[in-house]
Amino acid sequence: MLQTFSYVAPDSRKDLLAILNKEGTRAKILAGGTDLMVDIRGGKIAPAFVVDIKKIADLKGVSYSATEGLSIGAVTTCIELVTDKTIVAKFPIIADAASRLGSTQLRNRATIAGNICTASPCADLSCAMLALGASVEIASMTGTRIVKLADFFTGVKTTVIKADELVTRLIVAPELVNAKFGMEKLKRIKGHDLSLASVAVVKTGTLLRVALGSCAPTPIVLPDFPANAPLASILEVAGKTIKPIDDVRASKEYRKMMIMTFIEQIILRL
Amino acid sequence: MFENVPDNGLKYVGKGVDRIDTVEKLTGKALYTCDWLVPGMLFGKIKTSPHARARIIKIDTSKAEKLPGVHAVITGNELDYRMGLYLVDKHILAKGVVRHFGEAVAAVSAESWEVAHHAIGLIDVEYEVLEAVLDPVEALKEDAPLVHPDLGKYDHVREAFTPVPGTNIANRMKYRKGDLEQGFREADFIIERRYTNPSVQHVPMETHVSIGQWSVGDKISIITSAQSPFTVRNLFAHSFKIPHENIRIQIPYVGGGFGGKAGIHLEPLACCLSRKSGGRPVKLQATREEEFSLLPCRSGLVYNIKTGVKKSGKIVAQQMTMYWDAGAYADYAVNVTRASGYSAAGPYEIPNAWVDALTIYTNKPFGTAYRGFGHVEFSWGIERHMDLIAKTIGMDSLKFRLLNAMKPGSTTLTGEVISENTGNVTRCMEAVAESINYGQLTGAEKAREKKTGRKIGKSVVALHKAPAMPSFTGTSVILRMNENGSVSATFSLTEIGAGTYTSVAQIIAETLKFPIEKVHVPIEIDTNHDPYDWQTVASKGLLLTGNAAILAAIDLIRKAYEIAGQVLRASQCDLDHDGEKVFLKHHPAKFVPFSKLAVGYAYPGGNGIGGPLIGVGRYCAQGLSNLDKETGQGNPALDWTYGAHGLIVEVDPKTGAYTIIKVASAFDVGRAINPAAVRGQAIGGMIQGLGTAMFEGYYYDRAGRLLNPSFTDNKIPTSLDIPEEVDAIVVETPQIDGPFGARGVGEHSMIAICGALGNAIEKAVGANLTHMPIRPQDIWKALQTGAKPDSPGISGDVVNFAEAPLCSTRRDSGKHKKR
Amino acid sequence: MKITLTINGREYTRDIAENRTLLRFIREDLGLTGTKEGCGAGECGACTVIVNGKTMNSCLMLAAECSGAVIETIEGESESGELSKMQQAFHKHHAVQCGFCTPGMIMSVKALVKKNPKPTVHQIQEAIEGNFCRCTGYTQIIEAVQAGTDQRDEQEELRRV
Repeated sequence: MLQTFSYVAPDSRKDLLAILNKEGTRAKILAGGTDLMVDIRGGKIAPAFVVDIKKIADLKGVSYSATEGLSIGAVTTCIELVTDKTIVAKFPIIADAASRLGSTQLRNRATIAGNICTASPCADLSCAMLALGASVEIASMTGTRIVKLADFFTGVKTTVIKADELVTRLIVAPELVNAKFGMEKLKRIKGHDLSLASVAVVKTGTLLRVALGSCAPTPIVLPDFPANAPLASILEVAGKTIKPIDDVRASKEYRKMMIMTFIEQIILRL
Repeated sequence: MFENVPDNGLKYVGKGVDRIDTVEKLTGKALYTCDWLVPGMLFGKIKTSPHARARIIKIDTSKAEKLPGVHAVITGNELDYRMGLYLVDKHILAKGVVRHFGEAVAAVSAESWEVAHHAIGLIDVEYEVLEAVLDPVEALKEDAPLVHPDLGKYDHVREAFTPVPGTNIANRMKYRKGDLEQGFREADFIIERRYTNPSVQHVPMETHVSIGQWSVGDKISIITSAQSPFTVRNLFAHSFKIPHENIRIQIPYVGGGFGGKAGIHLEPLACCLSRKSGGRPVKLQATREEEFSLLPCRSGLVYNIKTGVKKSGKIVAQQMTMYWDAGAYADYAVNVTRASGYSAAGPYEIPNAWVDALTIYTNKPFGTAYRGFGHVEFSWGIERHMDLIAKTIGMDSLKFRLLNAMKPGSTTLTGEVISENTGNVTRCMEAVAESINYGQLTGAEKAREKKTGRKIGKSVVALHKAPAMPSFTGTSVILRMNENGSVSATFSLTEIGAGTYTSVAQIIAETLKFPIEKVHVPIEIDTNHDPYDWQTVASKGLLLTGNAAILAAIDLIRKAYEIAGQVLRASQCDLDHDGEKVFLKHHPAKFVPFSKLAVGYAYPGGNGIGGPLIGVGRYCAQGLSNLDKETGQGNPALDWTYGAHGLIVEVDPKTGAYTIIKVASAFDVGRAINPAAVRGQAIGGMIQGLGTAMFEGYYYDRAGRLLNPSFTDNKIPTSLDIPEEVDAIVVETPQIDGPFGARGVGEHSMIAICGALGNAIEKAVGANLTHMPIRPQDIWKALQTGAKPDSPGISGDVVNFAEAPLCSTRRDSGKHKKR
Repeated sequence: MKITLTINGREYTRDIAENRTLLRFIREDLGLTGTKEGCGAGECGACTVIVNGKTMNSCLMLAAECSGAVIETIEGESESGELSKMQQAFHKHHAVQCGFCTPGMIMSVKALVKKNPKPTVHQIQEAIEGNFCRCTGYTQIIEAVQAGTDQRDEQEELRRV
């Protein structure tokens, strides 16, 4: 059961931002609810207002332009990412990452902004989006700002978003269109599970970028490598960067070994 | 009974007929306890302990009591009742001290779940945290804190159990067979290792839920998700000193049990809340998180096995010591200790054996019955150990098992002599070995290894289990004929999913010679109306209730013949019947339909005879005895169901990641009453066993707080976690006192599959594993630490037997040494 | 607040508490208790219903979000008084044991088959990955889905040796 709160579902961005501006931390944004509802039920948070952003038309949809690149509306669900023709054609790594999140029921609900904003170190979409060098568009009543996803996470489950702000969309610049990619995710079971370690790699003719999950307080991206960078140098940088933890899900040694193994497997494949 | 009737003489028995309970379940119309609402019902919530061991200094309930909508708040101070199946050690709410994380300390009834939940948050409990006892072996040390300092004052079932006051030992069992010292002297090798496994959760999809009402005059009414209605009634009657007839237990559909709902759980608290709420009914429903720690789990086990074996491969001596981690309360764990003690060596003959099995209190959520009743846990050790021995003496492990397997003429650890009719474990092993092409890789498997870079390993393990139950366990079936000549059967086994109700319906239809459509078996149970059954546990239901059903059917027909004989003016010996009527054998045109006999026969003139037809069947286990307290000798086993698993696994030698390619399972079920249902039990239990083997289990922090009480971090197998291929096989050696020769198989599929996995992984990559679950990281670590497949025994920690308390032993023995 | 939504083809208008989950709304306010709660946290799938054509865990949704939605639950499967084809296949293939996961399982399978009338075994496994079943070991469920999609006739045999 859930504690008492007021449900509001503004149908315009303006109304929504006004609510956030007024209520601040008393309001929590409901997109797919796959984390929010769990946190409310578990007593981790107790918002006075639950603000449903799914009625706002301009937070939906996927589009692509040669100048800006890919734009993914905040409430785009994982299943939409998996099936969207533009994404599958131009940035298949996003569809791949989304297909690895949770179960069918969860993919039908969970949104890209929700997954990114939860800022869990094991968030499934974060690695792929980091590897693509994605940016986050953040709006408030005072205007809009764009933050690189690499600068977005500040710690375990914390981000740069302020209480009066909203993530409106994710943007992926056109440089990495049709880049080759590889992803791996370590789970405890073959069925749906959180990531215990994950690796996403994209590669073009000139550039190779590696993003890692569940091996630091936030999902991380390694500095860009040249496309022909030797495996050993990538592993060395990765090894120095990651700081996995010991917990009930996996030991830090195993996480580290698996991150290295995944990098190696992917690089050899690409 | 009817064990030798050939298959072709049977119409329903042996056929995969549709289950009688699935239409309601498929349409959402089956009502489970969680679906029930009772007029005037209030909602209960429980305040649980965040500490493993603490003194309760003060509980302030004043704020909760003032909350509008709250009807009652209770704490342990006002409840002076102790509960316990075999050892009466548990208060309904913690009294003075808490003994495990998640223990109930206070409870509330209110007009909604929300108010109850809010009220729980307003209860302040002040604790003085005490040092917790977490390790079962440490708990035996002299200076270990006592979980139950008053153990000596607790009532217990003296015939079967032996608590040791002044220690943390809730029960100590001893089994002594042959001459152990002599056996070890004859051995060419002595091989010793320790095996461990943690507590795990049953995870029925329906959490525990009870609705209790305590009315004026101590009239108790309970609707509950329990496996054993009469055990709930009996324990309630004893604890509250209320006459049995005052207590009514109703069991609607039950969403899985697996042993976790076998005893008494939320029922007393729901009733106590009702009593304090002016007699209004109160519903208590566990959240999934509460299911992990408020409600019981399966005990952990530390198992030492030391075996003496001849060069020929014949086992000559085995000393087994079981340290059962019971958690804070004894519940079923004392009986798990007893039952697994007499089965402890698996289905192998050990001429000279000692078993010391200890139920040990610790400050952890308590263990109860769980499908397999201890056998899953110890089979991990035994089956790993069998492979270790075989490897040490340089013998194929299947050959080694077949050599030592129980056969007609073998004696069990308690001295029971195995006969031709007990079952055939050899045939089970051979069948699964054949199914998996044991001992070699097929061409396809070699190609697969080459393609994936992974290594394939195969194993065969064997298992046995007999029901753990009182020697005089009884049950009953009542068969009433309806006006149209159909019958309705009532009995108090619960249909928790295993399909026993359908099998019993088949047995009744077969015995009556009625079409199965004419046999009606209502799923819901009510102790006010239904006849006694002890418990729905132990894989004993089909055998005992099936026999009672046969007897009830025979009784019903006999009574029908009594009246039909008069109506037809014939001797009963000249009568026969079919699904419609009783007729004269030699003159079938002379008949009387059952519909005219059903509720009393009326002659054309109007006067009647007979009255409603009711058949009664009662059955009690035969030939069993208590066990001698010093030697464990006696006959505890209603029936032994044997089985075997063959497993093929593919392992990545670099990461330890693995995929189970195939599992073949064979069980000697005596006769498969419903082959489709047997297959469901075989596969369902095997996957549940793989859950235990692969990843399930509790993790605690150093203070004894459970770290993974949810599905986020306590996974169970999903549809993607099953083997690529399964093969379910039955061997049918009839059980003479089983219905149509059948014996139980509900639990067996879960046993020993863990050992099969561990052994196949070792064969594939050489990882030497002594702890389950087997996570890929454990395989990786075992390979890192350099244990080589040809040096068995290295990674298993060996407990020096001289330190094992309460079992005097010889002091020799290294890890494994050649003598 | 007031919501109007369609469940199994029938329109309902109700005044609801804003923190009411869709699951409790369906079960407690409408009395459609076929949909079950297994964990309350979106892990087990016992509460699966179809919302606007997609399966969702109703424990993780607010009823308030569902105004205007078209929802299907287990109660809609056999409104004609007969078991649906898939329900019949589950019945024939012993795909039900305790039955607690069954309503959610049927919903997941229904959504799968609508999208993919001839799913492979792996596609069936993926579609029900979010529906825990503790009893059956899934095998007979997968067989039932094959039968319900005309890809299997006979019950898989228990081998007798």
